[in-house]
Amino acid sequence: PVVLSAISAASSTTVELNIALKRMLNFNAPPLKNTAAEPVWKVLIYDRFGQDIISPLLSVKELRDMGITLHLLLHSDRDPIPDVPAIYFVMPTEENIDRICQDLRNQLYESYYLNFISAISRSKLEDIASAALAANAVTQVTKVFDQYLNFITLEDDMFILCHQNKELISYHAINRADIQDTDMEAIMDTIVDSLFCFFVTLGAVPIIRCPRGNAAEMVAVKLDKKLRENLRDARNSLFTGDSMTAGQFSFQRPLFVLVDRNVDMATPLHHTWTYQALIHDVLDFHLNRVVMEEGMGVEPSPAGARPKKKSRKTYDLTAADKFWQKHKGSPFPEVAESVQEELDTYRAQEDEVKRLKSIMGLEGEDEGAISMLSDNTAKLTSAVSSLPELLEKKRLIDLHTNVATAVLDHIKSRKLDVYFEFEEKLMSKSTLDKSLLDIISDPDAGTPEDKMRLFLIYYITAQQAPSESDLEQYKKALLDAGCDLSPLNYIKQWKAFTKMAATPANYGNSGVKPMGLFSRVMNTGSQFVMEGVKNLVLKQHNLPVTRILDNLMEMNSIPRNKNPFQEAIVFVVGGGNFIEYQNLVDYTKSKQGKKVVYGCSELFNASQFIKQLSQLGQK
Amino acid sequence: MAVDITLLFKASVKTVKTRNKAIGIGFESTKDEIFKRSRPKSGFSPRAKEVITNITKLKDFLLQHRKDYVSAGSLISSDLSRMTDNDRDQIDQDAQIFMRTCSEAIKLLRSEAEKQVMSAQIKEHRGAVLDLIETYLKGVCKLYSEQRAIRVKRMVDKKRLSRLVPEHHSPVEKKVEVEPTEEDTIKEESSEKTTSSEVQDNPVNLWEESRVEDELSPEEIQMFEQENQRLISEMNSLVDEVRQIEGKVVEISRLQEIFAEKVLHQEAEIDNIHQLVVGATENVKEGNEDIREAIKNNAGFRITSKAAEVAACLGSCQLRRSSRATGTLNCIYFLCRGSFQQL
Repeated sequence: PVVLSAISAASSTTVELNIALKRMLNFNAPPLKNTAAEPVWKVLIYDRFGQDIISPLLSVKELRDMGITLHLLLHSDRDPIPDVPAIYFVMPTEENIDRICQDLRNQLYESYYLNFISAISRSKLEDIASAALAANAVTQVTKVFDQYLNFITLEDDMFILCHQNKELISYHAINRADIQDTDMEAIMDTIVDSLFCFFVTLGAVPIIRCPRGNAAEMVAVKLDKKLRENLRDARNSLFTGDSMTAGQFSFQRPLFVLVDRNVDMATPLHHTWTYQALIHDVLDFHLNRVVMEEGMGVEPSPAGARPKKKSRKTYDLTAADKFWQKHKGSPFPEVAESVQEELDTYRAQEDEVKRLKSIMGLEGEDEGAISMLSDNTAKLTSAVSSLPELLEKKRLIDLHTNVATAVLDHIKSRKLDVYFEFEEKLMSKSTLDKSLLDIISDPDAGTPEDKMRLFLIYYITAQQAPSESDLEQYKKALLDAGCDLSPLNYIKQWKAFTKMAATPANYGNSGVKPMGLFSRVMNTGSQFVMEGVKNLVLKQHNLPVTRILDNLMEMNSIPRNKNPFQEAIVFVVGGGNFIEYQNLVDYTKSKQGKKVVYGCSELFNASQFIKQLSQLGQK
Repeated sequence: MAVDITLLFKASVKTVKTRNKAIGIGFESTKDEIFKRSRPKSGFSPRAKEVITNITKLKDFLLQHRKDYVSAGSLISSDLSRMTDNDRDQIDQDAQIFMRTCSEAIKLLRSEAEKQVMSAQIKEHRGAVLDLIETYLKGVCKLYSEQRAIRVKRMVDKKRLSRLVPEHHSPVEKKVEVEPTEEDTIKEESSEKTTSSEVQDNPVNLWEESRVEDELSPEEIQMFEQENQRLISEMNSLVDEVRQIEGKVVEISRLQEIFAEKVLHQEAEIDNIHQLVVGATENVKEGNEDIREAIKNNAGFRITSKAAEVAACLGSCQLRRSSRATGTLNCIYFLCRGSFQQL
């Protein structure tokens, strides 16, 4: 039989999500392409889950453009606005349903479009029906939808399960020693519900692969069961052909790889060198938003005056930010250089505009200049109309200058480049040019947490556990440096357990080639003085999760299917981070035509992960 | 993929109804419904919707006549252009009046909304609604200004192309050749250019005359010819410049529109700052007086230090942080007052 080449429309998750959200916000009808359409206004009511889903994807301005005049939290004081339709986007929990019923009784809005993030149960639906009847508002409930959007898409190819209440399904929650079966069941159900929503939105039934004997396997089994149940009921199946949008002609089912965090404990602790991962590591970065404190006391305040209050600035790193999209995976020195370049280009454009201004000033003085004006009016018009663009560019340059400066400050004060290099060497089992003890004992290098991270990575990646005397030495040095040793207790247990299991994770032959120290590489006037910071170049290597994916994608264990997988989703049960994500992105770039999406049950940076390990180690 | 469960919901409603009937619970009848449904006819929402309907009418009107409006026809003016310039002017005028009316209606709604006392959420909602309507109006106005710009450009281009092409008749050319070229130029011109043909006629007449009368010498004829040509080219270049300037003016008016918008925006901000500064000055004055009094009363070291602090703060106060300054000054002012009262 002729096999049609798999025209995998590679519908990315953000695109799908965007489309789904926009449709929902347009009263569940496809949005009109016509920009000069009559505005229709509405209010949006969401709970914190809904907020987390919408905020990385749609800005307030975009919401306004779609006609949303107000966006309010469900559980807040809301005044009646009786002449406007309301769109609800909430989880079908007990409290939310109660509040909706209350709204119906209080006749807050003209009409109600109820959208539930995950499917609502029949009994809760009847509760709403009952309240609507009592309030004589049945006709006002115009539409009710199950949106199946119970996951948060951060990037085109990355999603997490939730941000609110993530401690319920955290690594700690799954791996604690005192966990009950019922607890585990609940956690698994939550994870499976979200993954199910993910695949419904994607419109594809995956082929599931997972290692045996851990939480990942439990998730895989449950998910498989849920998918089968749904497919079996052909009438109500969510995956039938006509419920899928036209652009999803994937003749091939995607590969879904489930892994457990325990397969690789070093990567979440690793110090990193790429822009996005660094921001997540050293700054406060959630749901694509960076929160920083400004006003680091540039001007000395006059004696006796009240100290200047530090203001908090938030920056949204969005898909529209071209610089961000281009450089979020770049090594930091490259980022610093690029910001400088952008600044120079911007200044040149600014000068161009200023020059026009001075030419305009010649008018009336010099008759010869009038002939110069021939096309200058047109130039001026184009300059003025391009001003908003220029201002936006300036805003982005400022944003990245501030963020990159903050990151650089951390790198310099904590000597993160040293840590990064050392850890890379540890993970690739290359020779070390410094002793671990030296770094730990060095009072200038890094916070106690940094040192603990380094030591844990050493412990995790060591082929053989260090001898008792060595261990004592390290422990003493760590305690002297102010570290908390409880994570080590847990890691010891973990190591003992995994030794019994499969071979230890292989971190590949990475090489970190230091290109010598930066010595004023950038010309004077540069914002980023990287003196003394190593210019490290990353050699491409595969982290354990990437290797697992690689094996599965190439191997292709399904006999019927002659073609290797084109599309894969990797999901880490127990949490993940940007380093893993970036590694997968780099891997995908090297493979033509393949598409990989990364997901994890929660996103944590090293400091959050260490806290969880600490809690686990204290039992 | 979202699943529409509205029908399921309706079914649930039926279920609940039947269940309630069985248990004997009844619900309020349609009385309340009638009360709810009577919305104030002159309320905000219907009027806002009315403005939108009007803007849509304008948009439809513009789009309907757009093809005719914009159609250039060929340069030969004898074509069947479906719209005369008068018609176009009429459309322009009507559109402008309409846009102005809509814009005023929006302003009226806004000022009314400001005056009415209502909750913050409703205020915000109405503000946003009016913003949406304004954006819509702007979009439609853009339609209008686009087609107007096209029209003006077309006019400019038309005039430029159909103007006289100054021929370089070199005096050395054989006179035999001059005549056919002149005839050619007459053929090339459009019938509008009667003046040019007249000018062209004259040398021919002169030529004929000179042949017949032989009164004007060849040099004089040449001179006249040259002068004619020069005058023609001067006129042409003037016309040219005027057309260019016309085009520039259109562009400049667009720029002015943008600037006016920005200036108005800044006006509001400057007013705001002005108010704050006035308030700050007042507070500073009062604070100074209080301090003087306190010094007179000789309350001692504490006040001196407080005074020093206030002076220092006043010194470092900058205009652009006037709002923060007001806040700081207010705090210090009340601090001082508080401590004075303690004494």
